Amino acid sequence: MINRINNDGWSRRRFLATSAAGATLAIAPSFLIGCGGPATPPAGPADLAGAAGAPPSGYFKNFGVDDQVIGKVLNAAMGKGGQYADLFFQHKVTSYLGLEDGEVNQAYSNIKLGCGVRVLKGDQTGFAFTEDLSTEALVSAAMTAAVIANGPAAPPLKTIVRVDVPQYYTVEIPWTDVGIERKMPMLERANKTAMAYDKRVIKVRVFTGDSTSRVMVANSDGKITEDTQPMTIAYLTCVAQDGKRREENYYSFGKRAGFEYYNDDRMDELATVAAKRTVTLFDAEQPPAGEYPVVLAPGLSGILLHEAIGHGMEADFNRKGKSVYANRIGKPIAPDFVTIIDDGTNPNERGSLNIDDEGNESQRTVLVENGILRSYMHDRISAAHYGVKPTGNGRRQDFRHPPVPRMRNTYMVDGHHSPAEIIASVKKGIYAETFTNGQVRIGSGDFSFYLKNGYVIENGKLGRPVKDANLIGFGPEVLENVVMVGNDMELNVGAGMCGKDGQRVPVGMGLPTVKCNGISVGGVNDG
Amino acid sequence: MADKNLMEMARNTALIARKAGAKDARVFLSRSRNVTLEWRDGKIDRIRESTSQGLSIDLYVEGRYSSNSTSDLRTEAIEEYVKTAVATTRYLAVDEHRKLPDPSRYKGMTTENLERSDPTVSGIKPEERMAQARQLEEAVRAGDKKNKIVSVTSWVSDTSSITVGFATNGLEATEAGTSFSRGAEASVRDTKDRKPSGVDYGSTRFQSDLPGIDDLGKGSLRRAMEQLGSRQVKTDVYQVVIENRVVPTFVRHLLSPLSGSSIQQKRSFLEDKLEKEVGSKLLTIKSDPHLKRGLASTAWDGEGMATVRRPVFDKGVLKTFFLDTYYASKLGVDPTTSSKSNLIWKPGNRSVKEMIKGMTRGIYITSFLGGNSNSTTGDFSLGIKGHFVENGKIIHPVSEMNMAGNHLEFWINLAEVGNDPWSHSSNRAPSLMFKDVQCSGA
Repeated sequence: MINRINNDGWSRRRFLATSAAGATLAIAPSFLIGCGGPATPPAGPADLAGAAGAPPSGYFKNFGVDDQVIGKVLNAAMGKGGQYADLFFQHKVTSYLGLEDGEVNQAYSNIKLGCGVRVLKGDQTGFAFTEDLSTEALVSAAMTAAVIANGPAAPPLKTIVRVDVPQYYTVEIPWTDVGIERKMPMLERANKTAMAYDKRVIKVRVFTGDSTSRVMVANSDGKITEDTQPMTIAYLTCVAQDGKRREENYYSFGKRAGFEYYNDDRMDELATVAAKRTVTLFDAEQPPAGEYPVVLAPGLSGILLHEAIGHGMEADFNRKGKSVYANRIGKPIAPDFVTIIDDGTNPNERGSLNIDDEGNESQRTVLVENGILRSYMHDRISAAHYGVKPTGNGRRQDFRHPPVPRMRNTYMVDGHHSPAEIIASVKKGIYAETFTNGQVRIGSGDFSFYLKNGYVIENGKLGRPVKDANLIGFGPEVLENVVMVGNDMELNVGAGMCGKDGQRVPVGMGLPTVKCNGISVGGVNDG
Repeated sequence: MADKNLMEMARNTALIARKAGAKDARVFLSRSRNVTLEWRDGKIDRIRESTSQGLSIDLYVEGRYSSNSTSDLRTEAIEEYVKTAVATTRYLAVDEHRKLPDPSRYKGMTTENLERSDPTVSGIKPEERMAQARQLEEAVRAGDKKNKIVSVTSWVSDTSSITVGFATNGLEATEAGTSFSRGAEASVRDTKDRKPSGVDYGSTRFQSDLPGIDDLGKGSLRRAMEQLGSRQVKTDVYQVVIENRVVPTFVRHLLSPLSGSSIQQKRSFLEDKLEKEVGSKLLTIKSDPHLKRGLASTAWDGEGMATVRRPVFDKGVLKTFFLDTYYASKLGVDPTTSSKSNLIWKPGNRSVKEMIKGMTRGIYITSFLGGNSNSTTGDFSLGIKGHFVENGKIIHPVSEMNMAGNHLEFWINLAEVGNDPWSHSSNRAPSLMFKDVQCSGA
């Protein structure tokens, strides 16, 4: 993540990382996968009323926010000539548990409570938030946000309607019902499995994080939507030593699910995959430098879509004319066997949403259909700009930020080739299996993603393992240079986090096995 | 809320923890106010204005530890939260290394005026921010002789904040600060629908130290225009100059393996390098938490320990790890600090322009694009953008390239340090020249 403004000795104090007002603007989105778990930890000790997954029913009345208060605050927000206003209430309880050196000896918890008020006038935004949900503080925030406009007050809100939302995440055992003592054995088991996997494993760290976020969006159209959004992540890193050489690697899970997601097999998988990926690195070297055909393994390689084209299809950059994809709707941008979806409706996936953070229903949005660019990803502002319906992509990190268009689960649908056939077609190239992070410059279209595990392909066969190389390319060209698409699409299971506009949100991604040309491999020796 | 009330609240929160059974507790409470105005193509794009507060509490309960934070500061909510957190902490494994710093480490906090706070912050009028943002855009557009601009975004932001720290073994400290930033981003039209953008900005503790509006406008447009027609050069070994303002992005990968967690968890290629040479004689960096108006200047660190100046590298020799109380105890040594503070480099004699003139064949790097560094082995591979240089002349812009290597070899090849430390980052790095760098492209 690149920060324009990287000031601030304050950031060392952890809570400021969570409460900092927008002093940081991201120039370019960055994409971090499992980058160490929640920067701010958490645990939701308080057992709060209502179960996760239950139909929403005025949860924020617990904090004194009833329909009358909502009406009053919305009227204040619309009091200076704004055309639209929304209130985003959030109560999020997060819990984070860590094992290091064989003991579950770290716990973190965080509570976020507050409300963001946004007022729109055309494509202009006024935004304020408050952590104090008293009517007085809410009205004051609303009046601050209202200054974006300069005109007569809108007529007072007459009716408020609560809208049902679809349910794409089912939770059997909500995190608010699960005490720390039930989670500890999970971490202990993963630690034992990883240590036992290979004698060379010398250090294991395991972290789990879970959160329950209650949100309510009330807008000046008189519509209220509520959602309960569960999330869990598990993350294991191993350090292994072979003689004097050391290596480190990781594996992670990230889902909108409850405690039922975990069992012994799941924790064993977390440990085994992480340990295996670590010790494999002893046989690996940095790959040869230069431009080669790259075969992307299914699943996590969806990071290619996220960076190479996903951000460029977020409509804010397009309405501002700044994206490399501005003015390309209806035009071919990929071969006709390429179809790309951004989907909020995949059951329990990390990027799934019942409603977005503007209260719009989530959907399955076809971005590219048989090679033709069909749709951008919209928030309310860009949908109005283009005269289309919102696509449910208006997302925010939390109540302290205004929403902007963001990806959900972004994936390519299956093609016709078998994975074996694709690998066999490459004379000399790279098979890219796992990644740690990526980045894109939306305007120039340059993107990169960092390869952690892969193989050299020689004469159609996987050869020696490779590691630690940045892959770089020009997004639109790489998309045009997709030459084969496999029939084995997988969604990534890991804990992907995407950064943009100084905000981080969880995202999913997926890809079948895909062969691309035009990617430059940042290796070391000229192969 | 006045400082006194904040301290009172911090103390009360720690006492709640004590009553609930914690042996010790440390509380940080902060309040910050930020206004950010973003301006785009002739009008306001977004105004954000809020006051934020937060509380964090570290709990030490029967030899066990947890850390907790909340934005719900209602008195009864805090009480309930702290009690529950204390109860939760009892389930964890005992960890003898978890303890508050020795109280002696709170003593001797500098009483120098670090000039962290600019009193003018409270007097800024909304129309002043708007005027600055508008002028920034005008300054960018004024240079657009070739009519290449697609869009201009500018911003003006000011923040004031106060933090108090209280610990049951004697920490009681308050620190206020301000920060300001302004800048502009120009997007320009290139071939193949590319719209490269250039950003220039300043970030300071005092408003009057911000770079001039005209300079920022010119700088952002120049940085965009310079990318027009960028292309790869051939994969090879090159001389490289890294521009001062992006050096911190790279140096981060050299510094993060110095943390206590990296060292103790054996995830650091620098674990056995203390007092050993890891870079050329030109690599001299000290950490200076007492630099006046420094972005990271502070009298106490993230654990409340009094800060001191300390060398990080001296003539290429590694002089310190960044150890907090916990990992230092696990390693059986005294803590230093986990906070890096302002990094001050020993400068060289030449400007970056002169350094480029002295290059025979190389790449002048003006930004990084993604990539990563393996903290355990020191291997890195980073995307780069910048300019191809031959016989002292900039030939054309480059993009879609990477540079790769290993830190333990790379820093030995540090050939020159510029005379141009950049003050808009806490890492006040000058431009750096390296020889024999593997770069890959076409």
